Amino acid sequence: MASSSSSGLTFKLHPLVIVNISDHYTRVKSQLSLPPSLTSTSSAATSNNNNNNSNGGENNQNPPPRVYGCVIGVQRGRTVEIFNSFELIYDPSTRSLDRSFLEKKQELYKKVFPHFYVLGWYSTGSDAQESDMHFHKALMDINESPLYVLLNPAINPAQKDLPVTIYESELHVIDGVPQLIFVRSSYLIETVEAERISVDHVAHLKPSGGSAATQLAAQLTGIHSAIKMLNSRIRVLHQYLVGMQKGDIPCESSVLRQVSSLLRRLPAIESEKFQDDFLMEYNDTLLITYLAMFTNCSSTMNELVDKFNTTYDRHSRRGGRTAFI
Amino acid sequence: MNSVEGLLTQIRGLSSTASDVLSLQNVLKQADESLHAESTRLLPFLDQLDPSKHSLGYLYFLEACTAGPVTTESASSFVLIIARFISSCVAEQIRLAPDKFISVCKRFKDQVLLLEEPLRGVAPMLTAVRKLQSSTEHLTTLHPEFLLLCLLAKCYKTGLSILEEDIFEVDQPRDLYLYCYYGGMICIGQKCFRKALELLHNVVTAPMSTINAIAVEAYKKYILVSLIHHGQLSTSLPKYASGVAQRNLKSLCLSYMELANSYNNGKIADLETYVQANMEKFGSDNNLGLVKQVVSSIYKRNIQRLTQTYLTLSLQDIANTVQLNRPKEAEMHVLQMIQDGEIYATINQKDGMVRFVEDPELYKTCEMIEHIDLSIQRLMTLSNKLTVMDELISCDPLYLGKAGRERQRFDFDDFDSVPQRFNI
Repeated sequence: MASSSSSGLTFKLHPLVIVNISDHYTRVKSQLSLPPSLTSTSSAATSNNNNNNSNGGENNQNPPPRVYGCVIGVQRGRTVEIFNSFELIYDPSTRSLDRSFLEKKQELYKKVFPHFYVLGWYSTGSDAQESDMHFHKALMDINESPLYVLLNPAINPAQKDLPVTIYESELHVIDGVPQLIFVRSSYLIETVEAERISVDHVAHLKPSGGSAATQLAAQLTGIHSAIKMLNSRIRVLHQYLVGMQKGDIPCESSVLRQVSSLLRRLPAIESEKFQDDFLMEYNDTLLITYLAMFTNCSSTMNELVDKFNTTYDRHSRRGGRTAFI
Repeated sequence: MNSVEGLLTQIRGLSSTASDVLSLQNVLKQADESLHAESTRLLPFLDQLDPSKHSLGYLYFLEACTAGPVTTESASSFVLIIARFISSCVAEQIRLAPDKFISVCKRFKDQVLLLEEPLRGVAPMLTAVRKLQSSTEHLTTLHPEFLLLCLLAKCYKTGLSILEEDIFEVDQPRDLYLYCYYGGMICIGQKCFRKALELLHNVVTAPMSTINAIAVEAYKKYILVSLIHHGQLSTSLPKYASGVAQRNLKSLCLSYMELANSYNNGKIADLETYVQANMEKFGSDNNLGLVKQVVSSIYKRNIQRLTQTYLTLSLQDIANTVQLNRPKEAEMHVLQMIQDGEIYATINQKDGMVRFVEDPELYKTCEMIEHIDLSIQRLMTLSNKLTVMDELISCDPLYLGKAGRERQRFDFDDFDSVPQRFNI
């Protein structure tokens, strides 16, 4: 159902909404299927990549459950900003929406966030379906043009973008019959400082909790991936600049200005003294690693020798006492 | 003869695929007796077989041929045949009958020595070693034979190439002792005293249930090389040396221990008198050359001791302290040591002063980084291997039985927590 929307609205989505939806889905899924080999499921919000796979032995016969809820936010002019969300009780088979629950929730949220109002609804699944239209129409009495936020809970490691799509409804004439269909819209992610911190925290969460070794490894991995990404982005810029120099790409002064300001912020020390100090520090670190390896190896060797001597030395130390009796 | 003919056709027929070769091996094992019975008449049959294709069959025939006593005339022909066989045989087929291959190569070595041309045997033996070993970490019985030939032929460099490899698997303990002993001698010949010390140390500390002559000889050389290289001898063997070695070795090498003692005192005159007194003893052990090197190294040791006390010293003073005759000799010694990298100093020729400096290595270069990185990698592989061995021995019932027995028991509570006997 998806051609792109023509309403001209800009959508801004906050991470809190995504985390809420994924949390809702995870909870429902883990509560539904309770196999005996259930390992501890993390019902807490998972990272931005929406790893909704919480159960150990999930039986693949049941289709994953769908969850429904409302999204709330503000619309200022042409910008629609979705701040928060809450859950709803909806039964797709009977198509009954619990209205009283919805109204109660609306009241509560109105007290806390007076500016927010219901902008639309969310659900999970891989694609928008026909049956969703009913829910959509049901919400139309609260908001005349609601949004539909769809989260795809399937984990796809090859996918780089967020599996979140926002649909709007438009009246199109199909086969002579005016019908409401879903059309896809683009969106941006907007974060408040608090959200950025919590998302960062969740992204670095490691399951084993943390002896010093895993923490160090986690920190170094983080730095490593950050540097790798910086490196690849700079390469892209470099190629772009080379292309511009050759004349393949039209010259744009604004982009050039931005690139030059970025480059001035990068450290670019090439002096002799820097090389010296850098190599000396590098060497020191390597030497310490070498020393650590040595100590490790020596201690293993020591234990091995002790065991060997115990096993094979005929006149070994008869240090231990015999039985007490 | 019919059986031999039949055997020949079978060999020719069954040498193509791996499964065929296995069945051929069974056939050959059964026919081994009959082959040995006709050993003298087998030589002409060898021409009918191709060593590169029918290696296994050829090996059996060859082994039977060479089983008898060897004369000088037959030795030269056999040497040619065996050398050609070794260079063209197929490694996989050979490894199916390693003991036969080893005995053939040993006879090859005997024949080469009989002809008094050890140099002819070096290259074929090297090929034989490479074909027999399943990996470069594997020590076969042929390694010490090869090193012996290198020693007798005085081509030490070829021997050194084999010694560079790390060994992790050994077939027979005697192989290890001989390999390390000969290897130590080769390194001494090439003046790589560090590696020689390492190899001789291996012999001395190898596990042994009774004292053996190889270890005693190796310990004598070990003392001498340790004095030359380090300037001192550690008086006790490390704890991983076998108990047998720790108790008996020193008493069997008394004169060498005395030599080490007088070396430590630092007085050259005493050392020389002692050496003169025991000349035949050292000579009978073929260690005279080493002993002479020990005596000349005492000068180096004394000069090195000076670096720890003085910052600058005149050549005359050096000559006096070290008991050399003229400052010219002192200058020569110091120059040699600077070139070898044993001390760091500068000689000022105008006023005859020597200034001792620190090690100028700043550890700032990329080469040093690579060097350290390589060392770390090697250490990591070694550490992994050690961990594996440690786990293996922890599960060894022999170890667990002994470890359990030695546990102290104080009360009834932990009485049966450690099993004393394993019935597996």
